Amino acid sequence: MSRYIIRRFLSLIPTIFVIITLSFFLIRFAPGGPFSSEKNVPEQVIQNLMKKYHMDEPLFKQYLSYMGDILHGDLGPSFRYRDSTVNELIGQSLPNSMLLGTIALVLATVAGIAVGIISALKQNHWQDYTFMSIAVVGISVPLFVVGPILQLVFAMRLHVLPLSGWITGREGIKALIMPAITLSFPYFAYIARLSRASLLEILRSDYVRTARAKGLAERTVITRHVLKGGLLPVVSYLGPAFSGIITGSIVIEQVFAIPGVGRIFVQSALNRDYTLIMGEVIVYSLILVLMNFVVDIVYGFLDPRIAYN
Amino acid sequence: MSRKIGQAVNEFNQQMKPVSLWADAWKRLRRNKMALISLWVVGFYALVALTAPLFPFLDYRTQVIEHANLRPSLQPAGKLVIQKLEAHRAVLQERINEGMDNLKPDLERTEADIQYAKDHLNDPVNKKVYIFGTDNLGRDMLAKTIYGGRISMMVGLIGTLTAVFVGIIVGAVSGYVGGWLDNLLMRFVDIMYSLPYMLIVIILMAMFRKEGQSSIFILFIGIALVSWLTIARVVRGQIISLKNSEFVEAARSMGASTGRVIFRHLLPNTLGVIIVFTSLSLPSFIMNESFLSFLGMGVSAPLSSWGSLVSEGANTMELYPWQLLAPAIEMTVFLFFMNFLGDGLRDALDPQSKNRT
Repeated sequence: MSRYIIRRFLSLIPTIFVIITLSFFLIRFAPGGPFSSEKNVPEQVIQNLMKKYHMDEPLFKQYLSYMGDILHGDLGPSFRYRDSTVNELIGQSLPNSMLLGTIALVLATVAGIAVGIISALKQNHWQDYTFMSIAVVGISVPLFVVGPILQLVFAMRLHVLPLSGWITGREGIKALIMPAITLSFPYFAYIARLSRASLLEILRSDYVRTARAKGLAERTVITRHVLKGGLLPVVSYLGPAFSGIITGSIVIEQVFAIPGVGRIFVQSALNRDYTLIMGEVIVYSLILVLMNFVVDIVYGFLDPRIAYN
Repeated sequence: MSRKIGQAVNEFNQQMKPVSLWADAWKRLRRNKMALISLWVVGFYALVALTAPLFPFLDYRTQVIEHANLRPSLQPAGKLVIQKLEAHRAVLQERINEGMDNLKPDLERTEADIQYAKDHLNDPVNKKVYIFGTDNLGRDMLAKTIYGGRISMMVGLIGTLTAVFVGIIVGAVSGYVGGWLDNLLMRFVDIMYSLPYMLIVIILMAMFRKEGQSSIFILFIGIALVSWLTIARVVRGQIISLKNSEFVEAARSMGASTGRVIFRHLLPNTLGVIIVFTSLSLPSFIMNESFLSFLGMGVSAPLSSWGSLVSEGANTMELYPWQLLAPAIEMTVFLFFMNFLGDGLRDALDPQSKNRT
């Protein structure tokens, strides 16, 4: 087991390496540099800027020195925000995004599993139909539709929640409610459907029939036998759900004006702020890859049928 | 001796008409009410999108500035304009009564506008009916959302077709040939899978699009880049499970070439899975495209898609909510039924679902 964990962990390194290399060259080969949108700048100034950021050197040399910096945990200076380093910019915004993402993920998982269990146990009753209709809506409606419509209803018409902003603002924790619900909605819907389907399958399985035949109380059958196996698919979905929440938060942060990584990611991509984009891609993929790793390991602990060879 | 085919004469002489996979699947799909409704709705969307240019009244370009920001209504535009101006006049009158005399010229101008609108009530342009309202330049929201839907659906369709085309070839070759080639291709797919896909597409879109130029081509590339991965895996799995079966052996013993075995014998057997994947991935491509357009990195003006319409609408939703709701609802309805159709197709075509009731 521990050998598997180590091997699995080591296999993350090439993945991250490929991601960094690919995005580095993708960005450098794009037409137009970070300074091309500034108007009326003398040629000499541009050249000095290029020199300052080592952009006049051969591409491969830039790549090597960038990789060297990354190994020291230094993501370099930002091209646009001249006074800040990329480490500072990401350090300021990442906690906000992490808070929002974690709340959304927990919300989606807890509510999704609860709804899935109720729907499976009450299959073909009104609870099942209601919840599953909501779930299909949740899968079909894009985040950027849910967000503005919630804003329209709860902030502009009913005036019960702040339109946008963050917990550091005037409204405090209330500012978190709408973004978190919006962000979790599609994943809640998917988890609800997933857990319902897998619970239904297990409810019909032989070992559950055996457990019932033994005369166990229905409650024990459900908690001890059905839930254990039935929630495995949810665990394996947590990886994709997390990556979806990370991408989704880009839109959510835009809609609700949240000072997170997603917001500066879009800005930096439009500004061609090379180092900032790179830094964000690296941070995002590190989180993603690590999350998938954790999910894999947890899954292995939960499902003894998985062999590690 | 007239007797229906498919009807047994007696228990010893059973002459049943063979039921093909497709007939069987169609039968099951027809029993699924929700899937049938979805089929009709999706078909209606496709029909409208295809035939929209044939209807001259669906004009998404003409700007009628007097008709700006009209609410959705079944009344002709001229009447709505008068109603709007009269409401404005009432507000002005009230302010003036409160003592804001500097608004008097405004009132006079509004009076004149009302008179003008009344005189021209019977102009053909004022007879127009905007059931979804208009945007800030007086363009018909119905036509705009239909043409936006055309773009969105086209992106979804092209993404899906690329995915199916590349995915089938890679998956089939990888599964059938096996060995080092299979290893190589599948490791590549693994690495592509672990990439933060949307981030890469956002970088692509932001970097390679030129100012003021429609970037729909780059959007296609960005979406096609990763869309084939899943289908390649699925097809590969199917091919591996089938390639040692008797009918393949029979085909090979009759001298069929590798290409013939793959395309004539193996792929038709995976068609069900491919169709299911296609119908389920179409909505997700549309969502991805709209996601980018919403961020201002997808299709750009003069083209618009559902995503960019929602994005525009979100900016003006406080005063003119229909500009958000019209594209949002239209898009949601389509995605909703598309998902249902995909589910229905999966139940109908998935061989394993035969055992389920």
